[in-house]
Amino acid sequence: MSTAQLDLTFAALADPTRRAILARLALGETSVLELAKPFKISLPAISRHLKVLARAGLISRSREAQVRPCKLEAEPLKDAADWVNHYREFWEQSFDRLDIYLHELQKQDKTHARKK
Amino acid sequence: MPEKNNPPAPTADQPFVISRVFNAPRALVWKAWSDRDCLMQWFGPKGFTMQSVKLDFRPSGIFHYCMRAPDGKEMWGKFVYREIAAPERIVLVSSFSDAQGGITRHPFSPGWPLEMLTTTTFTEQQGKTTITIQWSPLNATAEGCATFNSARPSMNQGWSGTFEQLEAYLQSQQSK
Repeated sequence: MSTAQLDLTFAALADPTRRAILARLALGETSVLELAKPFKISLPAISRHLKVLARAGLISRSREAQVRPCKLEAEPLKDAADWVNHYREFWEQSFDRLDIYLHELQKQDKTHARKK
Repeated sequence: MPEKNNPPAPTADQPFVISRVFNAPRALVWKAWSDRDCLMQWFGPKGFTMQSVKLDFRPSGIFHYCMRAPDGKEMWGKFVYREIAAPERIVLVSSFSDAQGGITRHPFSPGWPLEMLTTTTFTEQQGKTTITIQWSPLNATAEGCATFNSARPSMNQGWSGTFEQLEAYLQSQQSK
């Protein structure tokens, strides 16, 4: 996946309505009408969000059925999540270790001080 | 001057922020970041062991390391220090690397940006030190930067719920 693709994914995910749509689609394929129900915005507004999500490759629309249900596409989302989580996890876990290490260093200092 | 405990306000192109308070004075925390032997004791995720470390802690100096993952895979990484303002701030460019010190793509995710600008700040309050790390992709397009910027708040706060819901789905996709 290119960096440009990652940019598209992040732009699509920046909006709370679009994240809610994705969360709903994680439960299964859904028609646009069904998808719009929980939101207090117009159908054309939902359609615009869906277009952004489709352009980012996060969803696809079936061509077969007349209602053209929306389906979540996992791969770009997974790449974006991996990218963010990589940095988070690396540092969260390093911080855990640093915390223990700093604690040990301070314990050593105190022991030295007592010996003197 | 009294130290503020708040993380610095995000500026342009800084999409990720991570912060933690440590129960240690800033001088000690700074030592843990600037001394090779100290750094080896904690740097890297759980279960990773440091195999090779070269640290030249000065502006334009390099931290070049190799970590062995629990599964035996080796990963090389590199920092190039841009600014060192003891004991307050370190600015560096981080990248994945090879044994020769070249810059490489992420081994498992070739689409990732090659370099990340990383700013780490250290602030002390009542004997405790807050470390805040901010990242932004380096040499990304202006559009890319704007995008990351606009997405930053949701990445830092609003994603976890969505991802929890999606996790099961993603796993089912992978096992296909």
